[in-house]
Amino acid sequence: MSTINPDATALTAAANSLRRSKPHYGERVIRGLLLLAAVVSVLTTFGIVISLLIPSIEFFTEIPIGDFLFGTTWTPLFMNGEFGVLPLVSGTLVITGIAIIVAIPLGLGSAIYLSEYASLRVRKVLKPTLEVLAGIPTVVFGFFALEFLTQLVLVKIFPGIEVFNALSAGIIMGIMIIPTIASLSEDAMAAVPSGLRDGAYALGSTKRQTAMKVVIPAALSGIVAAFVLGISRAIGETMIVTIAAGLQPQLTLNPLQGMQTMTSYIAAAGSGDLATGSIEYKSIFAVGLLLFILTFIMNVFSIRLVRRFRQVYQ
Amino acid sequence: MSTPDEVTLKLSSSMLRHGSELPLHARETVFSLDDVSVFYGDYEAIRNVTLPIGKNEITAFIGPSGCGKSTLLRSFNRMNDLIPGARVQGTVAYHGTDIYGPDVDPIEVRRRVGMVFQKPNVFPKSIYENVAYGPKVNGIKGNYDDLVEECLTRAALWNEVKDDLKKSAYALSGGQQQRLVIARCIAVRPDVILMDEPCASLDPIATAKIEDLMGELAKDYTIVIVTHNMQQAARVSDRTAFFTAELDDNGIRHGRLVEFGPTRELFSSPSDKRTEDYISGRFG
Repeated sequence: MSTINPDATALTAAANSLRRSKPHYGERVIRGLLLLAAVVSVLTTFGIVISLLIPSIEFFTEIPIGDFLFGTTWTPLFMNGEFGVLPLVSGTLVITGIAIIVAIPLGLGSAIYLSEYASLRVRKVLKPTLEVLAGIPTVVFGFFALEFLTQLVLVKIFPGIEVFNALSAGIIMGIMIIPTIASLSEDAMAAVPSGLRDGAYALGSTKRQTAMKVVIPAALSGIVAAFVLGISRAIGETMIVTIAAGLQPQLTLNPLQGMQTMTSYIAAAGSGDLATGSIEYKSIFAVGLLLFILTFIMNVFSIRLVRRFRQVYQ
Repeated sequence: MSTPDEVTLKLSSSMLRHGSELPLHARETVFSLDDVSVFYGDYEAIRNVTLPIGKNEITAFIGPSGCGKSTLLRSFNRMNDLIPGARVQGTVAYHGTDIYGPDVDPIEVRRRVGMVFQKPNVFPKSIYENVAYGPKVNGIKGNYDDLVEECLTRAALWNEVKDDLKKSAYALSGGQQQRLVIARCIAVRPDVILMDEPCASLDPIATAKIEDLMGELAKDYTIVIVTHNMQQAARVSDRTAFFTAELDDNGIRHGRLVEFGPTRELFSSPSDKRTEDYISGRFG
């Protein structure tokens, strides 16, 4: 047996060859830039929260928070205006609800068709076409709702409908978020391993059974995430509702009437000539904060939901 | 080191499954393939196979990668229909009926001819729901408790999972998942079980369990298994078909059936030089 102890010079040579020959400055620069990119969005979020909070707190020193949250009249621009936000919340919920009713069946339906039924060639044409819908500016959608949907279609079905109404805004908003829901759901379903489909077919499943009982449950967390993203877009959407739903805050569930949403109030009031520091001006931030909190709660809730499904299924 | 002849000898003397000594003509045939070729578009993956599958036998398909044995297996329950561009020529007769005939519903074929895949493809559901899936989609109503217990017992999994039936199937080990897939398969009460390299992703202990199980299942089912593992084919099967990939005159590869016979014979005295080379490890 030869010795297993190499001599000292060989050791030093080995140690020297392992030493860093030059400092990796480039690595550090890249690392710093990437960190900066990540931090920008976090800082922006903090900035938004703070800029919403400060005027909101001032607002709530003048208007009791209970009056704001549970008041049923929103007339901030009147003399002795009232600041009950419920009409804006109900407007947002009604229009978003209509959008969900339109978008979830159509979005999920197109996702199932694209992922499970369409031939490769059809999918290649259809999916990009659908995604083009996502690129249409919302202001165009708004005028489409007002000029086409309301005045050419809905008037014939509901003769008593108002020119500005929640129904047209909700339907068009639903159409606007179809691509988001369809595209992301389709991605989630396409990511389901083909072995699961094979297994389902080999047990004598039809195409429908395979899609409904195996592929959708397996892709559920991704599909729920797609819904949430679509709904978040709907809640935050401004242009369509400003143009098509009118600007009258009304506490009603009747979709044939005009409504104002939280976002369209912010847009309308923000583009007006309110004096900085006035109570009307501060109300914009209070409504903005409420919108932020509602969206945040929804996101947290849905992340929980997604996690729960993951736990069950994996 | 053992010579190839010694390997052959060992396989033939100790590892063979002792069951079927009946000549094939004395058995009922479940499948009868006549001049079957399978194409993917213009590409002919396997060419002109004529082969019977005997009832309650285990038939093994062996051969090097790319010889078309899995492709051929997938033509037994029309799984190739799911691949765009795939088509089958010739006759695949199941109890005398051509399963590619105009009036045949592939879904009905698959209810009778089950399949177990290379990777255990349990559904993202509970253990119970995995077994009950097949009967549910096939419209069998009622309480599945007895059926689930029976199938899990037959798949030699009941004792390991009886207290965890509501747990996700993903919580099981790979070998347990594959036995769950077998339980799920027999819950539809098939006649034939196709197995496409069922042990390829399993460790030796899990593999041994699946192999034992196959012997048990062969009492009630007809089994066709594709395997890369020659020892496995020798251990479990009654009959073996050896396939190889050949270049034709145009230089295009396609699979061919070289030799088909009782496993004992094929391993101890192969009649074709290519079979002998493959099973003795000189090729492949």
